[in-house]
Amino acid sequence: MKKSFRTICALFVVFAMATVVLAGCSSTSTPSSSTTGTTPPASTFKAAMVTDIGGLGDKSFNDLSWAGLEKAKTDLGIETKVLSSKSIADYETNLTNLASAGFSPVFAVGFLMTDAVSKIASTTPDTNFGGIDIFFTNPPKNVVGLNFKEQEAGYLAGIVAGLATKASFDPRLNAQNVIGFVGGMPIPPVQRYEAGFVAGAKSVNPTVKVISLYAGKFDDQAKGKELGLSLISQGADVVFAAAGQTGIGTFTACQQSKKALFIGVDTDQFLTLTNPGDTILTSAVKRIDNAVFSVVKKAKDGAFPGGQNLTFGLADDGVGIAPYHDFDAKVPQAIKDAVDKATADIKAGTVTVPETLK
Amino acid sequence: MWLSFFTPDLFASAIRMATPLALAAIGGTICERSGVVNIALEGMMLVGAFFGVVVTLATNNVLLGVGAAIVAGVLLSAIHAFASVTLRMDQVVSGTALNILALGLTGFLMEVIYGHPGATNGIQHIIGPVFNFPTGGTGVLATIWTWIDQIVFSYTPIVYLAIIIAIVAQWAMFHTRWGLRLRALGEHPRAADTVGIRVQAGRYSAVLISGALAGLAGANLTLEQVGVYSDNMTSGRGFIALAANIFGRWTPAGSYLASLLFGFAEALEIRMQSFQSVIHVPVQFFLALPYVLVVIVLAGFMGRAVGPAAVGKPYEKE
Repeated sequence: MKKSFRTICALFVVFAMATVVLAGCSSTSTPSSSTTGTTPPASTFKAAMVTDIGGLGDKSFNDLSWAGLEKAKTDLGIETKVLSSKSIADYETNLTNLASAGFSPVFAVGFLMTDAVSKIASTTPDTNFGGIDIFFTNPPKNVVGLNFKEQEAGYLAGIVAGLATKASFDPRLNAQNVIGFVGGMPIPPVQRYEAGFVAGAKSVNPTVKVISLYAGKFDDQAKGKELGLSLISQGADVVFAAAGQTGIGTFTACQQSKKALFIGVDTDQFLTLTNPGDTILTSAVKRIDNAVFSVVKKAKDGAFPGGQNLTFGLADDGVGIAPYHDFDAKVPQAIKDAVDKATADIKAGTVTVPETLK
Repeated sequence: MWLSFFTPDLFASAIRMATPLALAAIGGTICERSGVVNIALEGMMLVGAFFGVVVTLATNNVLLGVGAAIVAGVLLSAIHAFASVTLRMDQVVSGTALNILALGLTGFLMEVIYGHPGATNGIQHIIGPVFNFPTGGTGVLATIWTWIDQIVFSYTPIVYLAIIIAIVAQWAMFHTRWGLRLRALGEHPRAADTVGIRVQAGRYSAVLISGALAGLAGANLTLEQVGVYSDNMTSGRGFIALAANIFGRWTPAGSYLASLLFGFAEALEIRMQSFQSVIHVPVQFFLALPYVLVVIVLAGFMGRAVGPAAVGKPYEKE
């Protein structure tokens, strides 16, 4: 009797835990089938996207992709829809559902969806697919990969940092001519940011010392802060972090120590961090929204760029640099001019930014 | 060059990074000494970190935030105590379930409270250093003072609290009646029961204390170090703390010193990366260093680690 009571109790606890865990998994972001698009009578062109597990509201990848579709809805009058993935197992289901509902192109957001989108694309050849940050090997006619030249955004950030560390428009800028880079994991997109940052800084300030530190993780803020403090103790007065959540810790290090300015990454982090105004100089941004919009527009004009991997750089407004915001009045015109010149040179092809160090 | 390698900041960084590990490790020590394995330290740290920020953002009072972090850790540990002491479930299974629960629960509540995943807003003022002595100047004396100030006086309250907790717990475990009883529970609960020690109550209190300490470790991460909560930000520290507990041979002081070693390894790793132009090895090598050290230390240098005899075994009165 007593024993069976215990067993029932134990089972209850297990179920209670399981329920909460499942609830935790399944309620990420918006309801799974939020039809955000109204039905424009004139058009039957429908584009959609499947988010990665982060879902809408991540202030990064997923939100940027959705912004691209929203722009297409307003400007091109198409119908749009987003399905959120709650786990890796949802990728294929979501992609299939959108394809069978007549959406084309369907965007898969994030590197982790590589296999899912390749598989579904081969079984539904009449639907077009786009993969954000996915580089496909031999993509079929109905698949396009959307990649970015992070190094070009890093290059512009490097120019800002390389010139700022020599300047004196802010009391935190010292005379040691040292700047810092914090990376999440040493993977290609992050390394492209780093390579561009170093090249950009050296192009305007050949003697500048650039110290690069990696956290080995994207989710460890405390480590990010220690990396930031370490850079600052070695004299770095401008720090660029391409490290996801780890970078938030680096931002805190700059803000708290009052000894360095911070450059954000991917989105304009001035808009997403708390009290950023006194610390964020600018951000190196990745315009996923522009890339998505351009592919949708081409598809609507009947020229879906399938069968290839597209790379979006400065010339296609695929990457760029964010406004200076609160620093706009302080940043010397020379820095703004140098950034403009480099932008023009890269667009014209007279400057090619390296993808790797050395 | 070596002068710029060994700076006071290196040691201060080690102590800062050791603090959350040490608090959780001491919690783990107390818990395991009572005979209950606690691999849910990671989850308890995570809910502490999360609720510390939630309450601080809601009340704008960072002390309430620290209190909430401790309460959150205690509540999660209460589930562990109920499952492993009252229901006599497998303690490793319960701990694993709680780690998953903590990750799911914080992610879910982030959506409910703030309407988006990822990271919370930052709190207005994170807890600053206890002392603020002036530094600077030139000469040998000024340099010595800078070192002392950085290594001794530069920390936030919980860092000092962790050292005090380590000393008090060490003394209590080996010089008080409470400590003797606690150790008896983990070595031979039947004998303890025979002489009238309440085994279940003793184990409950030990598990709850470990939850409080792990919650405090979470508060150190969010309220003192960074001021923001983001998904899974404890990033495996609870498991390193378990290793520190074993390396410290199930003593609070040992746990603190072992955490200090791991903290120093990480600080050293960061510093060595800065010297990559001199030491030509890929960055992955440095990143692996602290973990390699954990394995070497546990496998090689300390010999056989013998924990409390009855750890992990549920106790049933006859």
